[in-house]
Amino acid sequence: MTDRVDAYASALFEVARAEGALEMVEDELFKVARTFEANEQLRSTLTDAVIPVERRLGIVEDLLGGRAAPITTALVSFVVAAGRSRDLPAIIDKLVERAAADRKQVVAEVRAAIPLDAATVERLAAALSTATGKSVSVKAVVDPSVLGGVIARIGDTVLDGSVRHRLDQLKEAI
Amino acid sequence: MERTAPRRGIARAAVAAVLLAWLSVAGLGSVASAQEGGGEKEISHEAEECIELLEDGKKVDDCHEAPSPIIPETSELVWGLISFAVLAFAMMKFAYPALKKSMDARANKIRENLDDADRVKTEAESVLEDYRRQLADARNESNRIIEEARQTADQLRRDLMQRAEAEVAELRQRARDDIAAAQERATADLRTNVGALAIELAEKVVEANLDRDANMRLIERYISSVGSGSASK
Repeated sequence: MTDRVDAYASALFEVARAEGALEMVEDELFKVARTFEANEQLRSTLTDAVIPVERRLGIVEDLLGGRAAPITTALVSFVVAAGRSRDLPAIIDKLVERAAADRKQVVAEVRAAIPLDAATVERLAAALSTATGKSVSVKAVVDPSVLGGVIARIGDTVLDGSVRHRLDQLKEAI
Repeated sequence: MERTAPRRGIARAAVAAVLLAWLSVAGLGSVASAQEGGGEKEISHEAEECIELLEDGKKVDDCHEAPSPIIPETSELVWGLISFAVLAFAMMKFAYPALKKSMDARANKIRENLDDADRVKTEAESVLEDYRRQLADARNESNRIIEEARQTADQLRRDLMQRAEAEVAELRQRARDDIAAAQERATADLRTNVGALAIELAEKVVEANLDRDANMRLIERYISSVGSGSASK
């Protein structure tokens, strides 16, 4: 399975780089993966083999058409048409890791309750680079369950500065 | 056999006594007849003497002297003594041993009977003593058994009481433990519920009060702490 995910990730990475839109595709695909993980109905629909492929591809087109680059829509449709919708987040995460590695960076998935502007993301990347000693590429995700603050995950390392984490600690203490 | 020998001796002694009596009687008879035979000569002599006395002018009473009514004649006394001696000898010789033997046998038999009686009595007393001892033993044994049964019953009662008390104590302890555990669970549940409720309330308060500016301040604080290496992992 890992080999297959790697193969798909490599294929998508090569296509995006060949199109010269690797960074943009990378960001859009990352958001698609997080949306796919967060939305149960979307995940069950795209992974349901009973639903015809054309129907599922139509849903992808409806979701991404006009909001994402055509190459991004085409790559997601490719994965869905291949019947690998269940592996879509893993494939995209692998693609993002590979892209970052290609830039000699590591990926930091940063979750915050509010959208982060570019300046904040840059400062976050600089702070995380200082903390880890590596060049960090930040992928921001809006997650209301964080309540406040930030959760950064770099590989197996999690730097949790969220209000949710403080409340959990308070609950355990109580 | 023991009885026939003395009887035979007695019969023999009786026959000997009868024979001796007959001999003595026959002897005395012959002595008497001899006296009577000799008397004719004495009478004649006496008659001659009486005649001489009468001729001398004496009376008839002077010539005849009457015999003593108490003292027997000498010959009769001699024959009597001889007969008595013979009879006594015969009795001593024949009858006395048989009588003595018979009397000894009878005495022995009586003695044996007495000995048997004493022995039987001793045996009876021994048996009676045995019976009494056995009775006493049986009474002691029954008393011992009754005492053992009573002690066993007491021990059983004590054991049952101890067991029952132990079970009651265990049930009480278990009930106390259950109550304590239930109280602890209830307290823990209450604490958890209170904590969850407090956290829920805190979340609502945070959500209500955590606007974008406050959130950005938290993010800036996070960036500062991560940059200084003090963020929680």
